[in-house]
Amino acid sequence: MNRYILSKKLYRNELATFYSFLIGFFIAIIVGSLILIIQEKNPIDVFSLMLKLSIGSINSLSNSLNKAIPLILAGLGISIINSVKLWNIGAEGQIFMGAIALNLVYINTSIQNPNLYIILLLGSGFIGGSVCILIPAITKVLFGVNEIITTLLTNYIVIGITIYLINGVWKDPASLNFPAAAYVDESVYLPIVVGKLSSGFLICILFTFLAYYIKDKSVFGYEMRIAGGSELTAIYAGISAKQKAFFAMLIGGGFAGLAGAIELLSQTHRVSTGISQGFGYTAIIVAAITGMRPIGIFLVGSLFGALTIGGSVIQTIGVSSYIAEIIQATTLFGALVAQFFFSYEIIKKGKNV
Amino acid sequence: MNSPILEVKNISKTFGNIKALDQVNFFLEKGVIHGLLGENGAGKSSLMNVLSGIYIPEEGTIRIKNTDIEKMNPDIASSLGIGMVHQEFRLIESFTIKDNLTLSKANIFLDNFEEAYEKYSDIFALNAHYETRINELSVGEKQKVEIMKLIFKNSDIMLLDEPTAVLTPQETSQLKNSLEQLSQEDEKTIVLITHKLKEIKEFTEKIFVMKNGKMVARSLDTKNVDDNELIELMMGEIKTSIFEKNNAKGPVKLETKNISLSNDDGQVLLNDISLSIKSGEILGIAGVSGNGQVELANVICGIERSFEGKVLINAKDVSLKGVRSRKKLNLSYIPENRLGVGLAPGVSVLDNSAIKEYFKSSYGPHLSKGKMVNYLSDLINQFSIKAPDEKAEISTLSGGNMQKLLMGRELISNPDVIVAAQPTRGLDVSAVDSIHKLIINQRDNGSAILLISEDLDELFKLSDRILVLYEGKIMKEVEIENASIDSIGLAMAGINE
Repeated sequence: MNRYILSKKLYRNELATFYSFLIGFFIAIIVGSLILIIQEKNPIDVFSLMLKLSIGSINSLSNSLNKAIPLILAGLGISIINSVKLWNIGAEGQIFMGAIALNLVYINTSIQNPNLYIILLLGSGFIGGSVCILIPAITKVLFGVNEIITTLLTNYIVIGITIYLINGVWKDPASLNFPAAAYVDESVYLPIVVGKLSSGFLICILFTFLAYYIKDKSVFGYEMRIAGGSELTAIYAGISAKQKAFFAMLIGGGFAGLAGAIELLSQTHRVSTGISQGFGYTAIIVAAITGMRPIGIFLVGSLFGALTIGGSVIQTIGVSSYIAEIIQATTLFGALVAQFFFSYEIIKKGKNV
Repeated sequence: MNSPILEVKNISKTFGNIKALDQVNFFLEKGVIHGLLGENGAGKSSLMNVLSGIYIPEEGTIRIKNTDIEKMNPDIASSLGIGMVHQEFRLIESFTIKDNLTLSKANIFLDNFEEAYEKYSDIFALNAHYETRINELSVGEKQKVEIMKLIFKNSDIMLLDEPTAVLTPQETSQLKNSLEQLSQEDEKTIVLITHKLKEIKEFTEKIFVMKNGKMVARSLDTKNVDDNELIELMMGEIKTSIFEKNNAKGPVKLETKNISLSNDDGQVLLNDISLSIKSGEILGIAGVSGNGQVELANVICGIERSFEGKVLINAKDVSLKGVRSRKKLNLSYIPENRLGVGLAPGVSVLDNSAIKEYFKSSYGPHLSKGKMVNYLSDLINQFSIKAPDEKAEISTLSGGNMQKLLMGRELISNPDVIVAAQPTRGLDVSAVDSIHKLIINQRDNGSAILLISEDLDELFKLSDRILVLYEGKIMKEVEIENASIDSIGLAMAGINE
C-alpha cells in the first residue's frame, strides 16, 4: 500500500500564475459551454457573438475597456494592500465613496480651468477612497481587528450613505422620482480618446505602472514585503510593520476611490447606485487570479471588462448575462486550483506503509 | 554475551533519493544503557522510528524478544515494550501528572498507582504531587514525567531522543543517576540518542555510532573508547578547531548600565544588568532559556524600548534611539529565531539578504535591484552560501545556509558590536564549525561580541568571559581561565557558591 502526500515544490515555475490562469479560463469556458448546452443554445454561436460585440469594433472594444477601468484600478488597490498580506474586501464601498467625495467637492467649489478642475475632482475621489478605508485601517493597526470583516462591513455602510444622499440632500429634482444626484457639468467630463474610449483608461495605464513601481521597485514596496512576510522580522529590521500596513491600506483604498471618480466623470456623470455594479467584488477575483501582479491585473481586468460587455449583449438573443459572471468566477476557481498544483507536488511516500 | 533483547539486520529506508538508513545492523542487550551517537541527519531518528513502528523499512529483519516481527506498526511496538521519548514532549498540558501517566491502555499500575508513583518519583527526584498539572511544571520536570510515562505503560526498551537538550547540568547528572537505577533495578534497556560526546561517555555502557545512514561502529565498550576515536567515527574528516584566546582587546564598544525591564504584568524580566564588552572580546551569556537572554538582546538592539537604564555603543548613549539608528552605529544582531525574526518566511532570498542594509541600495524612494543583487552575490561568494536562486523563497535553503546568509548579512559590514543569540542551534557539526570560525574571525577584526548560547561547550570554546543570567539577574561573571563547567552549571540553576 502506498501513501501519497503533498509536498511543497522547491521551485515554482515563473509563469505558473499565467498557466494557471489559462487553465482556469479553459475550464470556465467548458463550464460555460455546458450550461449553454443545457439551455439548448449553441456555445460557439454565443461565444462568437460575445467576442464580436465585445472586441469586434472600435466602439465595442472601447466599451469593454471602459468597463475594465474600475476593475483594474480597484484590483491594483487590492494588490497593494495584499503586499502586507492584508485583504481589502471593501473596494466596492471605496468606489462609491470616491464618487461621493468627488460630488462633495464638486458642489462646493468652482474652478474655471476644466483640466485643473478634473484633476482636483479625481484627487478628491482618491482621497474619498482612502477615507473610506480609514476606520478599518485604524482598527487593524491599533486593535488588530480583522480587516476582512471591517472592510466588508464598510461596503454596506457606504452604500447606505449613498442611498441616503441620493434620496435626500443631493436628490436632483430634475430626475423626477429616480433617486440620483444632479449631473455634473459637461465641462468636467473625462475627454474621449478614440471611439468611445474614455481618457480614464490612460489614467488606468499610468496607475498600473505606478502600482508596479510601488510594489516591485520602491523602498516602500520592499518594506511592505518584509512586513508582510513576518511582523517580527520587520521590527527587527527597524521597519514599522503597522505603519506600512496603515499606508498600504490608505493607498489601496485610494486606488478604488479613484475608480469611482473616473466612473462618475466618464460614465454615469452623477452619483447614483449605478456607480458600481459589483466592480469592487469582481476586482478581488481579478487580483487573486493574477497572484496580485499589477501587469497581470491590467490584462485580466481588460479581459473581464470584455466579458462583462459580452455578457450584457448576449441578452439580446435570450441568454442570461450571468454566463459572463459564471465564467469569471469559474476562472478564479480553476486558476486557484491550478496554482495549488504548480506550488505543490504529490509524492509517493514509503513503499509499503 | 546474552542473546540480544532486540536485533535488527540489514535495515534500509529511503526518502526520495536519500538513503536515510543503509543496511543498518543494530542490537540491544537487556538492562544495559546504550548510546546512539551521530550528527544531525546521520539516521538516528530514522532508526528509532523504525524500532517504534512509525517507519516501515524497505529491507531488513526485526527480531524482538526472540520473535521475528513480520509487519511492524506502532501498536505492536508498544505491546512488545518499546517506548520512545521524543524531543518535543507529548504530554497533555492541562491534565495532571496522574492523568498523563495513566492515560495509556497498557497502564500496569492501575491498582497501586500511589505506591508506584512514590517509587518512581523518588528515582527521578521529582518533587511534585501527582495531582499537579503539567503546565505548572518546569521543562526538566516535564521530561521526568515523560520518561515515567514509559515505565507506567510497561515499556522495557526505552528510546530517549536527545533527553538532555533542555536540561541544566545538575538536572543532567540527576537524569544519569535515575537512568542507571532503572537499568540496574528494573532491568530496563535504554537507548540514549544524542550528538553530545560528553554525555554519551558519562551515561552509557555501550556505544553505537551512525554516519550518513550507516552504522559505522557497533557496541563499543564505553570504558575502552577514547574521544578522538568517537569524533573520527562520527564526523569523518572534519576536525573541530581549537581557537586561540590571546586575542588583543581594544576600547569598550558596548556597555549597558543598570538595565531593568518588566513586562505588562509587572514580572521582572531583567534586573539591574550592567556589562561591558571591549573591541576584540567575546562575552558569553550562559543560562537556561527564558532567563532574560532574548530580552537583553532586544534591549541592546533597540527592539525593546520600555526599559530602565542605559545602553552605550562606542560610548554613545543610544538608550532612546531606535533599531535603525543603532544599526547605523554599526551594530549587528543575529537573533535566536532564524526564520521568523532574522529572516522573513515567504519572502525571496534576495529580499531577505538586504534586510540589514537595504536603505543603502536606495535612491530616495527608489530601490536599486542591481545593487541588491550585487550585495547578495558578494554574500554568497564571501560566505560560501548555497542558494538555488535569488528569487527562491528563503525556506528552500537548508538550515546551515540560512544561518550563513543571516550571519553574512550581519557581518559583511565588519560591525563594531555583534549580538549573536544561539547562532549554531540545530545545525550540523560542519555548519557549526564554519559559524564558529566566522565569529572568531570577527573577534579578530575587532568586533565586540555578545554571544548568547545554551551550549556550554560553545561558550567555553569561543568566549573570553562568561556571564550567567538567572531570572533576569547576573548570577555570575567570570574570566574563561577561571571558569569551570560545574560552577557555571550551578549558577545557571540559580545557586551561587
